[in-house]
Amino acid sequence: MEIKIYKLFFLLTYILLCGSCFEGTDFDQANDVVVTPEIELDLIYFNLEASKFYDYANNTEILVVQDTTDLDFLGGSDINDILKRADFFFEFTNSISREFNVSFDFLNEQNTSKYFMQTTVASGSEDTPVVSYFVQSLDEVQIKELTKAKKVLVTVTIPSSSQDLTGVLNLQSKTTYYLQIEQ
Amino acid sequence: MKKFLIIYLLLGLSVVVCQNKQLLYNWEVTPQTLLLNPGSLVTSQFHAGVPLASGFHFNVGSSGVSVFDVFADDGVAINTKITTTISRLTSRDFFTVNQQLDVLTFGWLSKGFEPMYFSGGIYQELDAIAYFPKDFAILAWEGNRDYIGKAYDFNDISARLDLLTVYHFGVNKQVSKKLTAGVRLKLYSSLISVSSTRNKGAFKTTVREGSANIYEHTVTDLDVEVNTSGFISLDGLEQSQVSKKLLGRALLGGNLGLGIDAGITYQFDNELSLTASVLDLGAIFHTKDTERYRAKGDYTLEGIALVFPELVNGEPAIPYYDNLEDDIAREIPVDTLNTGYTQLRPTKINAGLHYDFGRFVGDNGGCNCKNNGTKKKRVSQAGVQYYSIFRPRGLQLAGTLYYTRRFGNTLSIKTTYTIDSYSAKNIGAGMFLNIAGVNLFLAADNLLQMSNLAKANSVSLQVGLNYILN
Repeated sequence: MEIKIYKLFFLLTYILLCGSCFEGTDFDQANDVVVTPEIELDLIYFNLEASKFYDYANNTEILVVQDTTDLDFLGGSDINDILKRADFFFEFTNSISREFNVSFDFLNEQNTSKYFMQTTVASGSEDTPVVSYFVQSLDEVQIKELTKAKKVLVTVTIPSSSQDLTGVLNLQSKTTYYLQIEQ
Repeated sequence: MKKFLIIYLLLGLSVVVCQNKQLLYNWEVTPQTLLLNPGSLVTSQFHAGVPLASGFHFNVGSSGVSVFDVFADDGVAINTKITTTISRLTSRDFFTVNQQLDVLTFGWLSKGFEPMYFSGGIYQELDAIAYFPKDFAILAWEGNRDYIGKAYDFNDISARLDLLTVYHFGVNKQVSKKLTAGVRLKLYSSLISVSSTRNKGAFKTTVREGSANIYEHTVTDLDVEVNTSGFISLDGLEQSQVSKKLLGRALLGGNLGLGIDAGITYQFDNELSLTASVLDLGAIFHTKDTERYRAKGDYTLEGIALVFPELVNGEPAIPYYDNLEDDIAREIPVDTLNTGYTQLRPTKINAGLHYDFGRFVGDNGGCNCKNNGTKKKRVSQAGVQYYSIFRPRGLQLAGTLYYTRRFGNTLSIKTTYTIDSYSAKNIGAGMFLNIAGVNLFLAADNLLQMSNLAKANSVSLQVGLNYILN
């Protein structure tokens, strides 16, 4: 009787331990996992008063104004490896009665241009500000260059100016980053 | 990010209310049943476990997903399956791993004016739980583009891992003919601990009329804390040095804590009994080798505001980006502290109502006349059991129906049907073999899934080898 019980015990143990398995699964699929988040982030914004385009002290036009900011997150091999596409979206609201040319020059640390984009902003008026949009999509090849940049130089050019010029040129912008992370 | 997701999904993908040892509770008296209820009815004179082999318990599980859900060889792209899984899981779903190894266990009956059964030992335990951080899984997997206006809740992040050794000593006494009670004192020595369980705040990207830029990225009411102990002194050490250090902590060199177990058995009559126990009512005091990180504050990001300053020659440009980083660091400072902290142990409660029936073990006929007042085992016992454990997000509960059948004094088989919030088809079985006082037990859960563990939400296994003198 006891011998049978031992046999039963060990048989059941064997079934329990060896009878269990993973079936119908393919763990190699883990190699196919691709994480593709799409991230929207604000970029830069400004409100340029018309008075910025006139030197009241010397009574002269200022036809070009510039500013620059570092964009440290763009540089580096990490982002370079995983950023596959980026869409830049710019929305200008112009209440100055002038057309503008606005450029965005992405520079590396040696101030060498790695990517350049520009657009024209339609003129408006204080009563009826005009909204202009500019969208630039960068593919993987262009992204490779962009991610060598560390900063952006923004240049706003006005064809002519005067001390009576009024209004504001407003910019709001965002970027959609398309990431692709895989093994 | 990807590694994080894969580890999260892989680790969790197969086990449920971890630590529930419904098969061992109120079963044949092994050292392990005394650990589950120090007030168990003890009939033995002496017991000793085989060092490192007297008891091993392993349980891994997830409340909402199985390995099969993600890795099924079904022709569906794995990314699609992960997307489906993320959308199906909630932030109350969790992944658990629990492992216990009895290093040493012993017990003896102290005969005297007041007979008492003393028991003690040492066991090592690994316990980890991580709730599914649904909001941040969505953010990592899909980004925020399609979720403008959604609040990503930091409260979703809740996880805890403990590696410790437990030194315990208990006393069990039959207080009256009907009542047996017991208590066990525990001294915890924590080897490693990391937890982040009380986080709050939210991150949100919104479009707001009148805002300076297209979006407002806001972090509101953030209060996130990660507590670690036992990690910083291991940094940079060789593997052998790490092992040596951990061994030292296992031998009461870690952060110490105190706890208590208590339990009772109440025998209504020869057939019906009630048991109840509370385990690990205590805390660990992390006072050394601690590192705690805390981020707190509010911030709204609207991008970088250019002001086109009129710079004279040589004047540096405005460091917008550095200013932005400084602003964020000022508004949401991340403090690193080395102060101590106290961590409650996950307290468990067991209870059961047990009914013995059938002839007495060893009797061949229907005569009960030998049972003159002493507890004598019947061949069958059935009952209900309750289990709960306090986890970071509240109680996790389980209910069990069971049947135990004894075949002489040699073999006992217990089968269980357990139901909890996540599984209604958990059938378990255990076998207890007694050969001249040498006891071997083996118990496992989720037998219905045993043929394909990939489909199981929970898997647990308990084995042990002990010597018990009756």
